[in-house]
Amino acid sequence: MSEDIVICRCEEVTRAEILAAIEAGADTIAAIRRKTRAGMGLCQGRTCRRLIAQIISQTKCRKMEEILPATFRTPVRAVKLEAFCDTEGGTC
Amino acid sequence: MLETEVAVVGGGIIGTSIAYFLAKEGKKVVLLERDHLACEASGACDGLIMLQTKSPGVQLDLAIKSVKMFDELAGELDYPIEYQRRGGMIVVERDEELETMRRFVHSRRQAGLDVDILGNEEARRLEPALSSHIAGATYCSSEGQVNPIYMTFAFAMAAKKLGARICTGTEVLSIGMDDGRIRSVSTNLSDVKTDLVVNAAGAYAPLIGLMAGMTIPIEPRRGQLVVTERSPPLIGRGLLDARYILSKSSSDTPSAGADTIDRLSGGLALEQTATGNVIIGSTREFVGYNKETTPDGITAIVKHSTRIVPRLKTLCAIRAFAGLRPYTPDKLPIIDLLDRPEGFLIAAGHEGDGIALAPITGKIVAESILAGKVDASLQALRLHRFKEDDQ
Repeated sequence: MSEDIVICRCEEVTRAEILAAIEAGADTIAAIRRKTRAGMGLCQGRTCRRLIAQIISQTKCRKMEEILPATFRTPVRAVKLEAFCDTEGGTC
Repeated sequence: MLETEVAVVGGGIIGTSIAYFLAKEGKKVVLLERDHLACEASGACDGLIMLQTKSPGVQLDLAIKSVKMFDELAGELDYPIEYQRRGGMIVVERDEELETMRRFVHSRRQAGLDVDILGNEEARRLEPALSSHIAGATYCSSEGQVNPIYMTFAFAMAAKKLGARICTGTEVLSIGMDDGRIRSVSTNLSDVKTDLVVNAAGAYAPLIGLMAGMTIPIEPRRGQLVVTERSPPLIGRGLLDARYILSKSSSDTPSAGADTIDRLSGGLALEQTATGNVIIGSTREFVGYNKETTPDGITAIVKHSTRIVPRLKTLCAIRAFAGLRPYTPDKLPIIDLLDRPEGFLIAAGHEGDGIALAPITGKIVAESILAGKVDASLQALRLHRFKEDDQ
């Protein structure tokens, strides 16, 4: 696979950058995110999360299920801030 | 078995800063981090470097020195830390709060800080996105922001270049002592032979303290934050609001219409990062070591911030997260080199000031270790200021 292929489209992070982060010791999805911003963009890793897990799995010889996170952060998808202002709790 | 002069426990911005300043002095350092670098509070906070919020006295003096160090560090550390000295403001929502804030500004000016109070028009000329209802804002041009994660990486990488050993995935399990002095640290990997342990474990510092037989009165305080999608420039400066400051002054009642954010003891903290994302905070809650975000907390933050900056409403929230700030009862960090056990140094408890105070903390700790004692001017930061019955 080409090393300059884009893995995280939102933050434009390439496979080479992910591999470099793993090489530098970032061997979890969260650590790679902090190092490269992969998964920090608009879709929050919905597309690249599995791809990054695969790269870790292949480089580190670890099972996919050990790498993928068990929980996802709120909000699961992008929500306009305006939408929170119409909900209960606190006053605008 | 590893052997070192100093073992630093904690790979957040404080621990890595200490490792850097020690390595710079030629000390042999091993940094022990349970997980990865910046994976607790230093990786789950805003990057604001504020001065006005510090109490006149030792806290403000240290902050002023620390902020001056950022310019130098930005050149010295070989990493893009996204440091920007863009100034900071504390937004005042109601006219009747202006008088308290005038006194607040006056006390900071007397301590040597370049801070002013602006009326509605002047404040909105600087920050046009502020709501038209605000009474005014304080303004300090020396304030700024940094990427706290990158700052942590920058310190760690620079320390490593100077010979420090950065061990991630290395959890401290116990501290070996002999005749009242530190001898070693046991971890899940190698044991480390050392005469000096630096406890820079933030909200987890009490757990490391217990291993050396002491009580450290730090409590985890949860701060929830929301991040928006990237946006064209919306906010130029770091923004706080006067709520937190006013809540400390008993004569002032909180503004009407923001009950949830008050109950969560929070206030506004807003910055637009180098990438264009807006970070919006924050709550300040005592919920033990719980790092979950809550619908109530996120809603309160969003409602409060969109009232002050209405244009935020058009942006999308892409992520919410929470970090545990290390709270101390008197709001000052603990920096102390103890006699008993000998060779145990505490540098923790910065609560929300950890990013701003990281450079000076690293420098002070390195100087204290070289001198064999903490400078007399820092008495107010020593552990024994807390009486036994407070602990």
